Amino acid sequence: MASVTVRRLSKVFDSGVQALHHLDLEVRDGELLVLLGPSGSGKTTVLRCIAGLEEPTSGDVVIGDRLVTQLSATERDVAMVFQTPALYPHLTVRENIAFPLEVRHVGPAQVARRVLDAATRLGLKDVLDRMPEQLSEGERQRVALGRAIVRGPQAFLLDEPLSRLDAKLRIELRGELLALHRALGATMIYVTHDQTEAMTIGQRIAILHEGRLRQVGTPEDVYQHPADVHVARFVGTPGMNVLHGRGRADEKGRVIEAGSLVIPVELSTYEGELQLGVRPESVGLCAVDQGVGNVDVLVVEPLGSETLVHLNAGGQPLVARLPGFADVRVGTRVGVKVDRRRLYLFDAAGAPLA
Amino acid sequence: MNAKGWAVPAVAAAIVAATATLLVVNRAQYSYRRDFAMRMARTTAAYIAAVTPPPPPPAPPRARPRPPARVSTPPPPTQLSPAARSFHLPALLTQARALKTLPGWTSEVEVYYGTAPLVDATAPPLTPDDLQELDSAGSRWRKGVALVPLRDRDGREIVGAVAVRPLAAPRGPLPGGLGFAFPAALLAVGVAAVIAFRERPLRRGGYIAAALLLAAAALVDVRTAARDSTDRWLKDTRRLLVEAASRIPSAGVRVNVSDLAALVQSSEGVVVAGEPAESAPRRLEIDGTRRAVVAVLIGANRWVELRSAPAERAAPRWLVLLLPSALLGPVGILLLRWAERTPVPRRRETAIAWGFLTPAAVHLLIFTIGPTVFAGYLALHADQAALTLANFRTVLDDPVTWLSFRHTLAYALYVPFSVAIALIAALLVHAHRARWSGRLLGVAFLSPYVSSVVAIGLLWQLIYQTGSLGLGRSDWLSSPATTLIALMVISLWAHVGGQMLVFLAGLQRIPQSYFDAARLDGAGAWPRFWRITLPLLRPFIWFVLVTGLISACQIFTLVSVLTQGGPLPAYSSEVLSHRIYQTAGNGTVGAAGAGVAAALAFMVFALVLILRWPQVKLLARVRHA
Repeated sequence: MASVTVRRLSKVFDSGVQALHHLDLEVRDGELLVLLGPSGSGKTTVLRCIAGLEEPTSGDVVIGDRLVTQLSATERDVAMVFQTPALYPHLTVRENIAFPLEVRHVGPAQVARRVLDAATRLGLKDVLDRMPEQLSEGERQRVALGRAIVRGPQAFLLDEPLSRLDAKLRIELRGELLALHRALGATMIYVTHDQTEAMTIGQRIAILHEGRLRQVGTPEDVYQHPADVHVARFVGTPGMNVLHGRGRADEKGRVIEAGSLVIPVELSTYEGELQLGVRPESVGLCAVDQGVGNVDVLVVEPLGSETLVHLNAGGQPLVARLPGFADVRVGTRVGVKVDRRRLYLFDAAGAPLA
Repeated sequence: MNAKGWAVPAVAAAIVAATATLLVVNRAQYSYRRDFAMRMARTTAAYIAAVTPPPPPPAPPRARPRPPARVSTPPPPTQLSPAARSFHLPALLTQARALKTLPGWTSEVEVYYGTAPLVDATAPPLTPDDLQELDSAGSRWRKGVALVPLRDRDGREIVGAVAVRPLAAPRGPLPGGLGFAFPAALLAVGVAAVIAFRERPLRRGGYIAAALLLAAAALVDVRTAARDSTDRWLKDTRRLLVEAASRIPSAGVRVNVSDLAALVQSSEGVVVAGEPAESAPRRLEIDGTRRAVVAVLIGANRWVELRSAPAERAAPRWLVLLLPSALLGPVGILLLRWAERTPVPRRRETAIAWGFLTPAAVHLLIFTIGPTVFAGYLALHADQAALTLANFRTVLDDPVTWLSFRHTLAYALYVPFSVAIALIAALLVHAHRARWSGRLLGVAFLSPYVSSVVAIGLLWQLIYQTGSLGLGRSDWLSSPATTLIALMVISLWAHVGGQMLVFLAGLQRIPQSYFDAARLDGAGAWPRFWRITLPLLRPFIWFVLVTGLISACQIFTLVSVLTQGGPLPAYSSEVLSHRIYQTAGNGTVGAAGAGVAAALAFMVFALVLILRWPQVKLLARVRHA
């Protein structure tokens, strides 16, 4: 196993689209790092550049202590699992898993032993002689994993491997993947657009937005201390509320006015526009005129353990997450409370205010 | 099950079917009556011409024929040429009148001289236009009367006409002259009504049986009418022959059989010297063919035999109309039942589907199934005799057949080479598909494929003849040793593009992720080709190989354009398809070799069919790939 380092990586496609902007990223040896970002943010491009399937426009890729930028995919010794399992349809499960060993001219006895070992780990022993088309979607992705682990590569690259599975299977396989990571102590880079998945499996999360790396940190880090407004919005279910407003300091007090809300906040300067972030769980409802402002109830989503209430705060959307079943009627007007200790302030461009 | 919903339409369908069948029967009877009248008219015309003497020499000009005076101003027969006077008018009048008194004669006859009726002077005359039309058309059928021209003794100029109106004859053997078809039709409608109104499950079998019975009864009626038509002609002609024997002016005491034979056109029958026999028409087997025959006594102990093709032998062809019209009923009821059980959207879909299918089905029937059946008929009938394998024997005994067979197989050997080249080309084009070089290569390979084979053939003929491309000055095409190889080179060049296209489609169907995965798995370019590309292309390779071999077995155009199977006399490049064409007389209609060619065609068909079998299996695999 080895660390993977990406230095000042840029990629401009033939069409002129710049997918990556001077990306720096280090994945430690044995770490499971999640690359998180919305579609089109460049996560898969990063992975394909590391794998050698895509040639970076500039920048370097280092695996272990080898500079591999000039090496072909065949020589980089990394394994990749794709969104679609990409099993060779004319080969059995056994032959699929054995393929990477056979093209490396590993002896037949060792091939058989290692294939059996990988299949045992992934619970594929019973389906070894089936053809890929006879497998379920989950089994196919397991076979793809098997093909990746069988030769013990320097690093695993996982490109949204669970996105095509149904919810139940996804959770099941996610657990297996974590167990596999622990057992192998492998370096893994896991690409996903599902931030719940990122939070649950990532030791560290790297958040990409529009081809730029916004923040790298533990799940708690990126949740509690988002590096900018994009990270704040993207992390969490639902993401952070971001209200556009401006500060006001006069005889009535020092406040931020955002839509229909007036929230008392201490600021260094009250000049210009700013963005006010507040997580849905920090928003509460109360009687009209009892809180920091009045809002209209647009949609109520009871989820059982909690209720999401979508509000209109003077033209700006606001979501509140309330425990249990909340007694809120659509179309009514209610007051809003916010937890003032849990406010995030960003400037107009999205950078955090100290 | 609600029977009421479809009971009334079902009975209506049965009535429509029964009526249609009866109408077909009626139509058939009418057509046989017309045939009889036509034949009779022609025979009568020949009889009149034979028994009427020429006009007496130098007659005064005022002897011009005039229509009978009682007719109010008939148009004068002025257009008649001088040759019209080649009949002696009073004699003609006598002979025509005499026809009326013939015993047992079953038609009314009228003889026109010019436009004037001679037998029944009160009958309406013809118009000059009628005569002119008769002269050019040969015969006419108008309002139940057959009209044929009466020509002069040389058979050149029209001098008048003979009209025959057949007297009504009983149509069937049942009481009242009823045929079998009518009661059968009543029965079919009755059965349909019982099935429809008795609210019990449809007894399909019962009604289909009733409908088939109706068709059979109708056929019996049609056959009866056909037989009747032949018999009447035989009987009436017999009377004419007897009359002619005593009236032919030049005959003297003993009339010649050949004079009598001249009365009957060869397409209608023959008159030969015969034995004493019954004067009623009979059916006899003569030289392997069935003939309708009647014996005629033409003088003291002198007999002739009048023979004709029995019309009833061709009567079953009416089944083409009778069966469908009789089965209209059951089909209609089945459709009604189906419609009743089927939801409306599905009914509409089915109707639309059939609407779209019908043109293709009709096309298939007329241009594929029809000719195939006809070719089968040709192959199995040498010299129009009965069923025989003689044509197949001719084919197998012909050494050129085997030569063509060997040449065809040898020629087909170019296919594996072209497939290999096409595969390499496809890999190159696919690898460079994003660059202009790849596209150029693709176009270069593809352009022969979209060109006319004839143009390609002529181009290569030029190349071979001028010795371009470093081929030397000896013309490969016209040298017996190399002509087949020269053709193979042309075919390879022409077909590689199409095969490449299939491989390109196959390559595009392989997801890029397989190659990505293989690269990451550590497989280099060569292992990727052998272990991923080739296995995934295998169904396409087989497909191209088999279709290529099949079309190679059918090679025709190049041979036809370039070598004609030559150089002769060794047939150095004769192949099966071209051999078929040559045997059939190079496409001449009705050529003598058509039957042999059809037999050869069926043998090639069998050969290709054997090759088609793997193709069908392969198509299924390509579809699943």
